[in-house]
Amino acid sequence: MPGNNVVERVRALVQTFLETDLVRLRIERDGGHVELRRRASSRLATAETAEPQMQAPPVENLDEIKSDLVGIFRFSRPAPIVGELLDSDRELAYVEALGIRNPVRSLGSGRLVSVCCDDGQPVEYGQTLFEVARV
Amino acid sequence: MFKKVLIANRGEIALRINRACRELGVKTVAIFSEPDRESLHVRHANEAFCVGPGPAARSYLSIPNIISTALITHCDAVHPGYGFLAENARFAQICADHGLAFIGPPAEVIAMMGDKATAKRVMREAKVETTPGTDILESVDKARRAARDLGYPVLLKATAGGGGKGMRVVAGPDELERAFNSAQNEAEASFKDGRLYMEKLIVSPRHIEVQVLGDNFGNIVLLGERDCSVQKPSHQKLIEEAPAANLSDKVRQSLLAMALRASQAVHYSNAGTLEFLVSGDRVYFMEMNTRIQVEHPVTEMVYNIDLVKEQIRIAAGEPLGYTQADLKPRGHAIECRINAEDARNNFAPAAGTVTNVVFPGGPGIRVDTHIYSGATVPPYYDSLLAKIVAFGETREAAIARMERALRETIIEGVNTTIAQCLEVLATDAFIKGRYTIDFLPALMRRDDAA
Repeated sequence: MPGNNVVERVRALVQTFLETDLVRLRIERDGGHVELRRRASSRLATAETAEPQMQAPPVENLDEIKSDLVGIFRFSRPAPIVGELLDSDRELAYVEALGIRNPVRSLGSGRLVSVCCDDGQPVEYGQTLFEVARV
Repeated sequence: MFKKVLIANRGEIALRINRACRELGVKTVAIFSEPDRESLHVRHANEAFCVGPGPAARSYLSIPNIISTALITHCDAVHPGYGFLAENARFAQICADHGLAFIGPPAEVIAMMGDKATAKRVMREAKVETTPGTDILESVDKARRAARDLGYPVLLKATAGGGGKGMRVVAGPDELERAFNSAQNEAEASFKDGRLYMEKLIVSPRHIEVQVLGDNFGNIVLLGERDCSVQKPSHQKLIEEAPAANLSDKVRQSLLAMALRASQAVHYSNAGTLEFLVSGDRVYFMEMNTRIQVEHPVTEMVYNIDLVKEQIRIAAGEPLGYTQADLKPRGHAIECRINAEDARNNFAPAAGTVTNVVFPGGPGIRVDTHIYSGATVPPYYDSLLAKIVAFGETREAAIARMERALRETIIEGVNTTIAQCLEVLATDAFIKGRYTIDFLPALMRRDDAA
């Protein structure tokens, strides 16, 4: 059955996606497309499984990047991936408020330890958006 | 009716608005600053968003964060309460520009009345008597010339002002420069607008105000007067009552007639208050507050009308459900403001933690408060902790009930104004209802001397 075939193929794709660190995967073919996105919480869980040693150092060097305004949180592209090394002025995301994109930057180099918000989530002043281990 | 209202305020008035919304079946969104995270208005709202750090300029006055909160939570209206952005015409206009109903009068009316110097000009044109005074004073030199023309003593006032902020009595030319600078700084800090104007000081008047409600269809009703003459030296009110004691029919009719003329002149809609100075039989318009007042509960008690619900209904486009002839006051109500203040130190604000609190109850007592045992009182905001309101069939009964209620009240951990309120209630002047705005400062001076 063609329908079952599509379900099987998507299931396989999801399985493959989950085995990677990818945040977003989009495949276009014959005018149609499939897009997979990973939620922030699941990304944190992946990081804990894949690199448990990352949980040890944050005590001393963990830095929280917080929102300084109220708006909708959105990832910049390419979206940051937990575990990756960040440049000192990397734009990680933006908070959209009153139609303006307010960039959220890495504010120094470091390794991204966790992403604390989902794409499209409303965020308040002072809310932690990312945790970065400064190196 | 609105589906969801953002409450752009904190403290007891945020809680008061939340209650009105809930009873009308309207959902609420609270905003709060970081030190207010555990505040009651945050707990009781359907949703709550932190909009900034402690200083009001970066939180409760942060228009971008407040509007953004309203939009991302899909509110259809904003209630500003009193203070903060309640009389900021730009904020009202920005709300309208973003499709948010501002629960108050239109921005242009706020601008007209909010600029106190302009308001007085408009009132003079409407044949409402005003105190002799000036337009905006751009400099100390202009203030000095104006004071010479008016004759000392004079009063410097913030054109964006209210609540006694940015106001200074100037007895003579030696005091002018210092008073001008301090009033300007205080007005700038409080309202982001340091412009001042000057009035001839009416010596020892009563401060009496009239409550107005207008809908969007041209209907205006008056809900009587409140006497707010028990004021601290900073001109902030401590005790208010409705109706005013010992007010002649002639003066009352003059007040109400002026209030109606003034409201009609600006096509007023929503809740507003016209403040007057009364000296003998003379009545002078002072200013119009285009918002709900702190002391609105005394009017609610004698008219049995929920003014905050009326504000919301009017903003939602509903007509007033009654006419002036339907409104019949009954009894007498008194409000005491319980502030976190050190009355022995010129009512200096006293921040801290409320370690224990017990509020009064029983017949005829209403308490509007946001505090609880363990609540913190941040240093950034108005020091109001609670409003205790007593209702009685007569003024004497209301005073007796208020005294009883204040003695039942326990607030530990911070200094409060309970003792000063009790002291006022026991004076011959208050009991007889014969007091002016000089009454409380004189009482304090007597205490200091003793």
